[in-house]
Formats: sequence, structure tokens, C-alpha cells
Amino acid sequence: MAWEGSREAAAIALDALRANKLRSALTILGVAIGVITVTFMVSIIQGLNRAFAEQIESLGSNTIFISKFDPSFGRPPTAEERQRKDLTVEDAEAIAREAKSVVSVAPVHRKLSVSARYLDHQTDTPALLGVTPAYEFTLSQYVGRGRFITEFDMSERSNVCVLAQDVVRALFPFDEPLDKEVRIDGRPFRVIGVMEPLGNFFGQSRDNTILIPLATFDKYYGGIDAPFPETLFFIIVRPRTRADVANAVDEITDILRRRRQVPAGAPNNFGISTQDSLLDFYNQLTGATALVLTAISFVALAIGGIGVMNIMLVSVTERTREIGIRKAVGARRRDILRQFLIEAVTLTLIGGLAGLIVGEVASLLMNRYSPLPAYVPLWAIIVGIGISALVGIGFGLWPAWKAARLDPVEALRYE
Amino acid sequence: MLTAQVQEEIVPYGELLAQEAVPAALISMRDIWRTYQMGEEQVHALRGVSFDVQKGEYVAIIGPSGSGKSTLMNIIGCLDTPTRGRYWINGKLVSEMDDDELARIRNKEVGFVFQTFNLLPRATALHNVELPLIYAGVPAAERRERAKRALMAVDLADRMMHKPNELSGGQRQRVAIARALVNHPSILLADEPTGALDTATSREIMNLFERLHEEGNTIIIVTHEPDIAARAHRIISIRDGRIEKDERVK
Repeated sequence: MAWEGSREAAAIALDALRANKLRSALTILGVAIGVITVTFMVSIIQGLNRAFAEQIESLGSNTIFISKFDPSFGRPPTAEERQRKDLTVEDAEAIAREAKSVVSVAPVHRKLSVSARYLDHQTDTPALLGVTPAYEFTLSQYVGRGRFITEFDMSERSNVCVLAQDVVRALFPFDEPLDKEVRIDGRPFRVIGVMEPLGNFFGQSRDNTILIPLATFDKYYGGIDAPFPETLFFIIVRPRTRADVANAVDEITDILRRRRQVPAGAPNNFGISTQDSLLDFYNQLTGATALVLTAISFVALAIGGIGVMNIMLVSVTERTREIGIRKAVGARRRDILRQFLIEAVTLTLIGGLAGLIVGEVASLLMNRYSPLPAYVPLWAIIVGIGISALVGIGFGLWPAWKAARLDPVEALRYE
Repeated sequence: MLTAQVQEEIVPYGELLAQEAVPAALISMRDIWRTYQMGEEQVHALRGVSFDVQKGEYVAIIGPSGSGKSTLMNIIGCLDTPTRGRYWINGKLVSEMDDDELARIRNKEVGFVFQTFNLLPRATALHNVELPLIYAGVPAAERRERAKRALMAVDLADRMMHKPNELSGGQRQRVAIARALVNHPSILLADEPTGALDTATSREIMNLFERLHEEGNTIIIVTHEPDIAARAHRIISIRDGRIEKDERVK
């Protein structure tokens, strides 16, 4: 019987919506915009989260990153950070020697961009990395063809280089790069190897690098005194296993504090970050954003809901006589209540479905045509439909209750 | 003020009487009052109405406008509840019922016919007639069948799928009568059923009522037109909220 009543109520609801097409459409639009907003926001947040987690995973297996600056996302270093003593190759050697949880250490000296030239091909964007033979294993980034930098290259400070994929593509679109001579900032270097491709990190290529021996780098680029941010010296550490990350961080901290003579109780004058700490930082950053986005979504939904309530109140007033007739032939309060609730929920569900479809399409387009990743998880779709139904019930309840409570005598007299 | 106090003393006695015996009549009203609060003032639309209607009677309630006959009809039809007094339908004390129980009574015991028809404008004749059965919880197939039969009984077999605005006044009123009868109510209650119809159509509708009465239905018609009332077998005249006259005419 409840089922019969609900089916009747649903039929009445659809009929009433059809009777006022424009009005219903506008109301549905309001709800749809609310749900679009929610879907879109969720998809962006989810997309970013997922992309970030994937990207961080792709950076290598649980490496630890040490520089004299505290970890930051694009924040310029403070004056205090700038005045800190630089890290040195000796620090890296000390870590490799003393830290038990560490299997390999790679000191890296980086110049943000250099110009590289081969015959009439030139690129001005690659980063130049001065590295040691330990680089490959420490970062799990291996040479694909040719060979990597050796201890011999280091001691000879020889002018050899290993090119990553982007540089190969720019300088040797048709030619074989191995054993060719390229000019880096005007100086001749022999190509000894080509790195395996790494892909992108947040839309930025990780393959636009040239690797040369650390000793050679220091020969040309003024040791480690070159100004930040043009050049930066940092140390990459590979712990024994993932479980050793925390121990390794502790050991490295001890070693560096001792070597840099940090007084007990004073904060570190260097920065150590792990993938976990990156993720933590990211979550902090996006947590606040997610909160704001969620709040905005709910404001949008509430506006849609108020639209529903408004239209339902109009509908109840317009159909006062109909309610009177239904009551006269035996409709109970709950029958009328159900009729109008189903009408409100139908409105919001149609809006919700429309919103989900548009939101889904929008995030697909976004994935395709913008660097921002978007992803709509299944739970978001279920939650979206659930929320639109709840909005219908929440905002439809009062109008429906008003209708249900109408005095039949008054309602029948209504013109 | 004094009269009000006297009445209040009488009520418990009336209740005592009521508890002693459940009347056997189809409709039984005992000292029905209906009072409206109009701002500061109390308006008594009904001032102690009592009467019985037996099964199978054909009763007209007449009275000038403002006499309280519409209020009486709303109370008979369980659309309204008395401020004071007791009212039984089929031995059920409806004056004490809550909203939902009254809805059940309207659904099962009362069939309404209104002056302005009160059909759902966007629904077909068939669907309008089905309406009471929907709220009675009758399954769709049976509902449809019964609604069809009710429409055939009022000679509208060929107009079932028409909407009210596609029907003449007389046809609309016959749809309303079919709706009133479809759930086999104890009482057919009509409020000025010919008020919106021309003379010829009025006669046609009144003939229909007569036929329905002969088939055993209990009919109560509220009207202010003497010649409509004259077709009934009993006339109750209301004036100033009281029964002025209650006479058997046939």
C-alpha cells in the first residue's frame, strides 16, 4: 500500500513538474549548479591528491632530500636561511660513512638553466646537474644507453656529459648523440650516455637535464659559493628500506648537527624532507583549500535548495484546492506530505543527476585540456545523488508539512 | 456569560448520556456546537444540533445563507469537527477522532458531491474517480476496474479519458458523483449539487440522485432551493445554527 501511494505520488510529482516546465527547469538548474559545484570541487581535490601521491611515488623509492633551506613549496628562503653555512661534499661523505640506515648518498650541485648547443640546434632550458657515480643508484634513475659518470671522470674532472631525453630531442632530433661534442655555456663536452625517460612531475618535465661530473661542475661554476637560487647544492640519501626512513633522518640530523656545530636545543640549520613529509605538507596545504571549496559547494547547494523550497511553497499555495479535494476523498496528512516530498526530491534528483553529468564531463574536459588533474571517485557520485535527495527532503519538508496541515474546509474554499 | 456557564455544566451530563448507549442510527448527532473565534468575538455557527439519519434515508438540509447549513454539512462529512457535542457514524464516535482517523472516515464512509464539482483539472475522469481508491490502498488493476464501473453507472462510459475541461457541467457533476460512490460509502453527501447547473441538467442530476436512493444509498443534500429539497423524503430546516423544523415529506 505504501508502494502504491508512493507510485501515485511520483506520478503526481512528475505531472506537476510537467505542468510548469519553465519553473521546474529553473529550479532544477539551481540544484544542478549546486551539484556541479560539489562534483567539480571534489573532482579537483581528489584529482590533485591522487596526482600528487602518484608523482611523489614516482620521484624514487623513499629518498631523503637535504639542503641548507627548510623544505618549502615555492616559498622564497628567509634571510636566516640564506645566511646558513652551505652543505658540502664532505657532509655527504660523512653521512655515507656514519649513518647506518643509509645505503647510498648522492651530493648534487644544480644550476637551474644552461644553454646547450650542437651544430645549429640549441636549447636554453635544461638544468645542469653536477653529480657523482652514486647518483644513479641513489635516485634509481639509470642511464639508458652509453655509460654513466665514473670515479675516473670525477678525478679527471673531464668534460663529459649524460643527456636526459628532452635535451636529446632538442639537440639530436635526427642524429645519434653518443660520442658527439656538445657545447654547454660555450664549453665543449662529450656525450657519454643518455638517461632513461622519467616523465612529468606536475606538468613539468623531469627529463630536461644534463648531468656532468660534480668535480667538473665545480671547476666551471665557482665551487659551492654560487648564489641561490641559480645554483643549489643538495644531498640525496637513499635509506636501506622504507622502514628505515625515520631512523635515517634521525642519524643524518645527528651527523649534520654535530658537523655544523648546532648548539643543543637550537633548531636545525638545514632542511631534511622525505616523501612522507612532502605528503604531510601537501595535505596541510590542500586541507585548508578543500575546506574552503567544500564550504563554497555547500553554499551553492543551499541556494539550490532554497530555490526548491521557494518553488514548493508556490506549488503548495497554487494547489491548495487540489489538496483540499484529496483530503476530502480520504488523503491523510502523511499522504499529502509524501506527495509533496516526492515532488521536491524528484526536482532535486533530476537536478542532481544533471549536475553530476555536467560535472563529470567538465572534469573529463579539464583532464584533457588543462594541466590540472581531475578525478571523480564513485563515492562522490553516490554522495552527490544522496546529497541532492537530502536537499530535496530538507528543503521540501516545510512546504510539504504546510500542505499536509491544511484545513480541508479552508482548502476547498480556496479560489 | 451566564449561558456559557450553564452550557459547560450541561456537557458532562451529555457525555454521561453518550457513554450509556451507542446509537444504532447511521448518523447520530447529539448537541453539536461549532464556534468560531473571530478576533475577540465568538461566533456560534451551530448551537446544539441533534438529529439521527437512518440507513437508506433521503434527507435535504435547507436554510438561508449564514444559517449554519454549510458548517453542518462539513461536520457531517468529517471535514470539520464540532467544538462540542457528540457525533457517530455507523456507531463510530467521529467527534473524538484525530485528523488521520477522520481521513479514513471520509474515505470509507462519506462520498462528497460539491457545487463546484472539485475535480482535479489535470486528471482524466477515470483518474478523478480512482482517487478515493488510491487513498484506500486498492491495487491499480482493481482500482481501474471499479472506477470504470462507477463511471458506467453514471452513463459516462464514453468519457472516461476526458479531462474536466472537456466535459459539460452535467458530465462533470456525474464524474463527481461517480467519485463519491466508487468506494461504496455509507452516506452520499451533496452540497448544492445543482448550484452551478442549468435547469435541464439540474433535473437530470436530481433524477440520478433519486435513482441512487432507490438503489439503497443514503443521501443528504444541502441546498437553499426549495424545489431541490422537495425531491427529498425528509427536510431539516436550519436557522441561526439551530434545527427549526425536521419533517418527513414522503
